[in-house]
Amino acid sequence: MQFHENKLISQIQHLKEEFDTTTTKLIKELKRQDKIMARSDKRQQQEYDELMDLKIELEETQKEIVFIMGAIGEYRTKELGNHVKRVASYSYLLAKYYGLSHKECELLKYASPMHDIGKVVIPDSILNKAGRLDEQERAFIQKHSAIGYNLLKNSHRELLQVASIIAHEHHEKYNGEGYPNGLSGEEIHIYGRITALADVFDALSSDRVYKKAWDDERIFALLKEEKGKHFDPKLVDIFFKHLDEFLEIRDRLSDPISS
Amino acid sequence: MEILQIEATKYTPQIILDPDGYISIKGKSYPENSFEFYEPIIDWIENYFTLTNTTKTIIDIHIVYFNSSSSKVFFDIFDIVDEYNNSHHIDINWLYDKENENVYESGEDFIEDFKNLKINLISI
Repeated sequence: MQFHENKLISQIQHLKEEFDTTTTKLIKELKRQDKIMARSDKRQQQEYDELMDLKIELEETQKEIVFIMGAIGEYRTKELGNHVKRVASYSYLLAKYYGLSHKECELLKYASPMHDIGKVVIPDSILNKAGRLDEQERAFIQKHSAIGYNLLKNSHRELLQVASIIAHEHHEKYNGEGYPNGLSGEEIHIYGRITALADVFDALSSDRVYKKAWDDERIFALLKEEKGKHFDPKLVDIFFKHLDEFLEIRDRLSDPISS
Repeated sequence: MEILQIEATKYTPQIILDPDGYISIKGKSYPENSFEFYEPIIDWIENYFTLTNTTKTIIDIHIVYFNSSSSKVFFDIFDIVDEYNNSHHIDINWLYDKENENVYESGEDFIEDFKNLKINLISI
């Protein structure tokens, strides 16, 4: 006997075929999407890594160039050895205990080697004169702050901006008797106040063409005497509070004994 | 049918669509809206296969940088090409810069997905 075929069956059959086609297509599409996403993730990772490598490269290059520029100034003034490295480390320490952010401490550390870069244009006859400078010579040498500032100020790079401030203000004095602008107190940028102390401490501790290194007692007496005059009193307090750390840097980065 | 040529921009590749049987996509592809950028290109390709009598087509794709939505669009383009693969002779050259692993790998993805298409991976 012949059964009458249920019409629903062919309809369902048709639906099933359509469903199969659509789901196959959807599965294919989903697989593609997954593949695209996996490739994209991998690429993103690579790109980020490359970007970070470039960033490090850029930062390191800046630091090296700044350090080399500082060394150029150092060669000119025959302050060979580790003067700029010590000033950098003293500055870092002062900045840290003063309460500047880690980033600022680092900027200061890497920019401070350029504080005397303006000296590159001062003639040797003045720069390396063994005797006392006359007034005219002193005025000339004092120009190095403004020259350093002018050399660096036009750069928008953070590190060079910091360096320009340091070059400009590291000979200002807390009581307003420094140069080039006679700024006083907190008018002087903290970077300038810090480098001033770091630079003087190192200069007094080292032999120079025009003087021998001072002994510690004499140095400490002068720093105390100049607290609030030449130097920011807060920084002098920090210096004595953490004296052992400063002396450790001085020992670690001491210059080889010259013959 | 007219030749359609689109000059490269910072974010989009140079496009040449020649009804005599040549399609070229060359450069970087990371537009903000890939689907919008490629829409006229996809329309052109569909028209090309339905309207022209050309029987042989060469497709050069030389991408140096692309985003994921461009990658999706390339799959869509290959889907269209795949549809006409039997009636046309189609050669696809997926060109990649020697060092560019990412572009090479997506070329491999297309080969894997489009078994019937003739896709040549060519290092430059």
